[in-house]
Amino acid sequence: MPTAIVGISEIYVTKNSEEDIITYSLGSCIGMTVYDPEVRVGGMIHYMLPLSKISQEKAKVKPGMFADTGIPILLRKVLVAGAAKDRLIVKVAGGSQLMDQNKTFNIGERNYLVLRKLLWKNRILIKNEDVGGSESRTMRLEMETGRVTIKSGKGVMEL
Amino acid sequence: MNVKNQIIDRLSSFPTIPVIVNRLLRVLNNQETATAEICKIIKYDPALTANVLKAANSAFLGFSKPVESLDEASFRLGTKWIYQIAVSSLIYSNIKRPAPGYEQTADDIWRHSIAVALGAETLSRGQYSKEAATVFTAGLLHDIGKIALEEFVGEAFDEIQHHVDNNSMTFEESEIEVLGVDHAEIGAMIADRWHFPPAIVESIRWHHNPDAAPEKLPAIDMVHIADALCLMEGIGIGRDGLHYRPSEEAIKRLNMDGSTLEMVISEVLTSLEEIDAMLDMAESAHASAKEVR
Repeated sequence: MPTAIVGISEIYVTKNSEEDIITYSLGSCIGMTVYDPEVRVGGMIHYMLPLSKISQEKAKVKPGMFADTGIPILLRKVLVAGAAKDRLIVKVAGGSQLMDQNKTFNIGERNYLVLRKLLWKNRILIKNEDVGGSESRTMRLEMETGRVTIKSGKGVMEL
Repeated sequence: MNVKNQIIDRLSSFPTIPVIVNRLLRVLNNQETATAEICKIIKYDPALTANVLKAANSAFLGFSKPVESLDEASFRLGTKWIYQIAVSSLIYSNIKRPAPGYEQTADDIWRHSIAVALGAETLSRGQYSKEAATVFTAGLLHDIGKIALEEFVGEAFDEIQHHVDNNSMTFEESEIEVLGVDHAEIGAMIADRWHFPPAIVESIRWHHNPDAAPEKLPAIDMVHIADALCLMEGIGIGRDGLHYRPSEEAIKRLNMDGSTLEMVISEVLTSLEEIDAMLDMAESAHASAKEVR
């Protein structure tokens, strides 16, 4: 089965139902999958920071680096590929923290809050999520079934 | 013999690092003569010269005309770049090892180390620019202790992880609890045997716990913050994961804030492609150097 690897700051969308989409080493970064089971269109983003205001220049070159520039592109791309907004199944993983997280280092938490806000504005619900903690996670979306699995130090689980 | 002594005992057979690394570092700290002197030192090592030129000509730099000499490379790319490539390639070809006890391949360790080196160097820009070579080198070597400790960590992993899960210990605190010593301390011992200057040895020793350092050197804080960021980003990390504690005080001591951190993270990510190019470069140069021998 062909596997597409999504690197940090990348966005990937496919109509190929024989494909798996995978991203590795989600720490404070967030992986979000979207999937329309009826037409089997799906995609994934692996973004690292909440807001593009820290560098418009970087956001232009790599919009997938930031939640506020990357998530809208992912949504637009799956809709263009034939998915319908009201059928989209959204799953979220990552947003981990170092231990005793304090204010300055809480990038994982802010990554998650911006995502919630963006989806809420677009009236899209999160079906399932595995966020927070101090785990490093691998996220996989199987295009044929829409199944999403998370692998971490605690084993493999279905999301 | 207890575990700690067994580990320290083994350090005598740990690989040494070429003296040239120390010479480059010393020269670079003497800014005025640096470029010419650095080229002079590198020239005496043909394999290293080949590595630097290969890197200078690697695709991502996109020069239309190939770089043919060290002087030309230093003119086009700058002394700092030459130093970074030379030291990375020397360390890479001598001590590139996996750490299966932490579930890290040699590439994972290397990728994480270069990312921390680049992150620390980015933090040094401006206010601490004199420390650039020190923090870059310390960043490259901050986890060197893992290579010496990994076998013991592998054997005692369940016990170490137990303390992390149940007693909310950080991974390095748990290493000390179970093995009597952590990878930071072992790394500092190695760097000390290699005769690195104190700022590098101390940056390695305190990279997980900068607040406990008796002397609060800015280099220690920069390496600590760069490491924390690269752990958070999951760059080349192992099964010790994010089980470490970041220091808010380190950021205050450097007069930095959250926006600096986000900037550094995005810089490091942009450099990741560069890192991959360096990895490929070092890999092939290492292979061809072996053939020559």
